[in-house]
Parts: sequence; structure tokens; C-alpha cells
Amino acid sequence: MRTLDENETTQVFEKIFKFTGNNLKNIVESPSHEGPDPEPGRYCFRLNKNRVYYVGESLVRRATNVGRQNLVSLGTCIGKFTKGGSFHLTIQSLGILAANAKHKVWLKPTSEMSFLYGNHVLKGGLGRITDSINPGDGVVVFSMSDVPLGFGIATKSTQDCRKLDPNGIVVLHQADIGEYLRMEDDL
Amino acid sequence: MEATNQLVDLGNLMAFDCTHQLSSIPSSREELVEMCLQKGTELVQAVADALFNLPSTEDVDGPIVKLPPPITKLPREKHLPKPKPPTKWETFAKMKGIKKHKKDKVVWDEQTGTWKRRYGYDRVNDDQDIPIIEAKSTDEPGEDPFAKRRADQKNRVDKQEKNRLQNLKEAAKVGSLPSHIQLAARALPITGTQAAPKKLSKDELGNVAGIAATATASGGKFDKKLQGEKKPKHEQKYRKFLPVAEGKGTGSKEKEQTDRVHNKLISKNSHEVLNIGKAVTMYNLKKEKKRQNHSGKSATSTSGRLKPKGNIQKKTPYKKGSSDRSKSNKPKTKLKRSA
Repeated sequence: MRTLDENETTQVFEKIFKFTGNNLKNIVESPSHEGPDPEPGRYCFRLNKNRVYYVGESLVRRATNVGRQNLVSLGTCIGKFTKGGSFHLTIQSLGILAANAKHKVWLKPTSEMSFLYGNHVLKGGLGRITDSINPGDGVVVFSMSDVPLGFGIATKSTQDCRKLDPNGIVVLHQADIGEYLRMEDDL
Repeated sequence: MEATNQLVDLGNLMAFDCTHQLSSIPSSREELVEMCLQKGTELVQAVADALFNLPSTEDVDGPIVKLPPPITKLPREKHLPKPKPPTKWETFAKMKGIKKHKKDKVVWDEQTGTWKRRYGYDRVNDDQDIPIIEAKSTDEPGEDPFAKRRADQKNRVDKQEKNRLQNLKEAAKVGSLPSHIQLAARALPITGTQAAPKKLSKDELGNVAGIAATATASGGKFDKKLQGEKKPKHEQKYRKFLPVAEGKGTGSKEKEQTDRVHNKLISKNSHEVLNIGKAVTMYNLKKEKKRQNHSGKSATSTSGRLKPKGNIQKKTPYKKGSSDRSKSNKPKTKLKRSA
């Protein structure tokens, strides 16, 4: 387990920024009640074997007692660094992203299952969509009952979405909660 | 063809038939191959017979047989060694008729009355053991005789070394050096034919010195540095990380780093704070409203008729300009942060 160096921190923050925008501040500076300490510490990011974990300070201090090879996971894993050095967010970061998301998309009940199987979101499955979305923005996908289902990248702006035909792709799928079942081993 | 003279050389595991002749010229390649195989089989059989006739000892893996020494002489691999040219001393001794005498390892020492070594520790005529040197008439007053003796010995040793190298050079010229000396002799300075030694530049020397300094078991960390030797140019650690768990009194460098990265990111994307699309729509809406208001007023006074010039000029450009100016100011102030 080690801290992230500057380049790695920039990469992680950039990816999260795409989804949260200025709410990134909330993520970085929220008080954490994770450990048994009475005072809330801060949240920090730690790297263990190419996985980035979002974890409270008190837990980190306790986790230093576990050997490097024995340490499996701590806090929430938000993403992984690939062999090429780029950072990808995984589905386990959904909780953090959904709470601070800037752009949201609500799916109709009929197309929920399709998204959960890993398909992209088509215009026909779109229920609601926040405005002022630019293409290439990070978008969190919710169901109509406000349950976060996953996240992805928007292909078109909100205006253009209205003009699309019903089979056009609106959101490119990046991660969904169905992955907990489908890709249990990879997570 | 069977009862021919077969020479079985068990040392080389070989059987040789010196009187073998092909009785008939084979008509095809296959026939030739067959005849050769047949003859070969006979010879191998002869080898196997001889092998099994040898006395064998039992072992875990089977019977073991010790092969006799080989009979056939194989040719030399390398050439015969060339005779060495005689050294300078050898030529001198031959000329003078000096013969070599065998020397004993221990010699009787008159002074102590014991047998001492001829050379080495505690030897017979050690130069450093002499306590007093009597002054001769040929000696100069300020000279140190002990130092002089030491200097003389050093000169003798150097002269001997020079002669040794010269002898080796002579032998190398003829080509009669044994191979291990041949390799070492490459370092011999041969005048005339050797290329000038390559001079290392400052950087190369620095690199080599660095490599040599770190080529110890602990990476050169604990070696004493010479006077004037600088620190290694490259620190061993290639990447530096912040401490994993922050101590109590060390301040929070990690917080600084995250804040720094955070601010950089925010400032890079701050141009997106002004939502241009929203500003444009708001401006257009305002414009529409104003137009509607104006057209509403004008509709009540002049409905359907051609408006006189004066009425048209009611909407003065000056007025419009001012209203435009106010409108252009408004979107900036009214804009909410699209967070």
C-alpha cells in the first residue's frame, strides 16, 4: 500500500471530475466516520497492487499492520490502473459518484435490464436527462426510482439528444451494477 | 567378407575393417545403402561382443565395464609448441659456462647459529636486519646508508621486472608464448605497433567510478569517501512517495498534494463555469420579451396603418444601444454556477 504520487493523483481526479465537476471538493474533503475513532478523519486515496482505494485515515493507519501481500482491500476500491498506466473507474465507485454527480440520466424500466447486461443506453430507453450535458461528459445512470445503476460517457449534448432517432446511442456504457454478478472475479 | 581382419578398439568404442571391399558395384543407391548397413551391422556386433567379454562389476543401474585405453592414435588438435628463445640470462650463462646449482631452502646462519630460510620471513641475510653500517671512505657525509640500500634494492627489483618483460616480448615476437601468458602479454607495451591507449573523458570516468563505487554488497553506502570525492550523482531512490499513514507531528503533506492537484484541475476547467449556452438563451429570451413589449405598445396606437416616420424613429438606435448594453451586462451577473 502506498500513497499516490502527483501524476497518479491528477489522473484519478480528472476521471472523477468528469462525473462530478466541482463536487470533487466534497469527495476529497468530506469527514470520514469509518474507523472507531470518535473524531472524523479525512478521506484519502491509497494504491495497493494497481487498485486505488478511497479510505478514511483512521482505517489506513490500522491497515499498515497488515502485510503487503496479505492486504486484500481497504475502504472502497474506486478504480484500477492498467498496465499501460491509465486509470479506469470501476463499478465500486458508483456510491461516491452517484452522490456527487453533475449529469444524470434516468432510464425507463423497460431498458433497465438491457443496460444491466452491459449494453449502451439508446434514446428509446431514456426517461429523463439533465440539461447542459456536453458530449464526452461523464454521466451517472439511474432507474426511475432513483436507484443508481451505473455510469458512462455521454455521446451527444442534451439538445442533440432530442433530435436523435430512437435507436441512437445516448450514453456509452462504462460500468453497471450487473457487473457484480457477471464479472465477480475481476472486481 | 565375414572372416576378414577386424580391429576392435574398445577404448574409442570403434571397430575397423581394413580389408573391406565391395564385391560388386551396386546398381542403385538403395543397394549401396543396404550393403553398407549390412557391413556396419557386422562391425557393431563385433564391438558388442568384445564389450560383453570384458569383466564387469555390478551396479544399481546395471553392469559397469571399464574400457581399456584406446589403441588408435588420433592426430594432434593443436600445433607443436615452438621452442622459446633463450632469455638474456640464459644466453649470458651459456656464453660464460655458468651451470645451474640446486639451492637448499634452509641455510646455516652464522650470526644466530641456527638454520634459517633462504628467503621469506626471518631469512638469512635480511637487508633490514643490519643495525650498523660502517662508513667507508668513499661515502659522502650527508648520505643515509640505509636509505641508499633500500633505493638500491628497489632499483634492482625494477631492473629485473624490466628484463622479465623484455624476455616475454622476445618470446611473443617469435610466437612461442604459452596461451595464458599470451593473454596477459596483451598489456605489454610494444613500441611501434600498438595503438595509443584511448583516453576516457570526464563523463566516462565519472560513470565508471560511480559503477565501481556502488558495486559492493551494500551499494557503496558505508564506504569511506576519499578526500574531495563528491556524493554520487544519482540518488539510489528513483521514485519518492509520501508516507502512507501520517504521523501526528509531521504536518500533512498529503493534504497539500491533493489540494494542489485539486486546484490545478479546477482552474483548468474554470472556463466551463460560464455556461455559454445558457447565457445565450437568456439573452435571446430577454430580447424576445423586449420586442414583444415594444410591438405590444405600438399595436395599440397604430394598428394596420403605415406607421409615420416619427413612430419608427421612436425606437432610437441610441435607446436600443443602451438597452443592449444593459442586456449584455445582465447575463453575467444573473448567471448561476452550474454546479
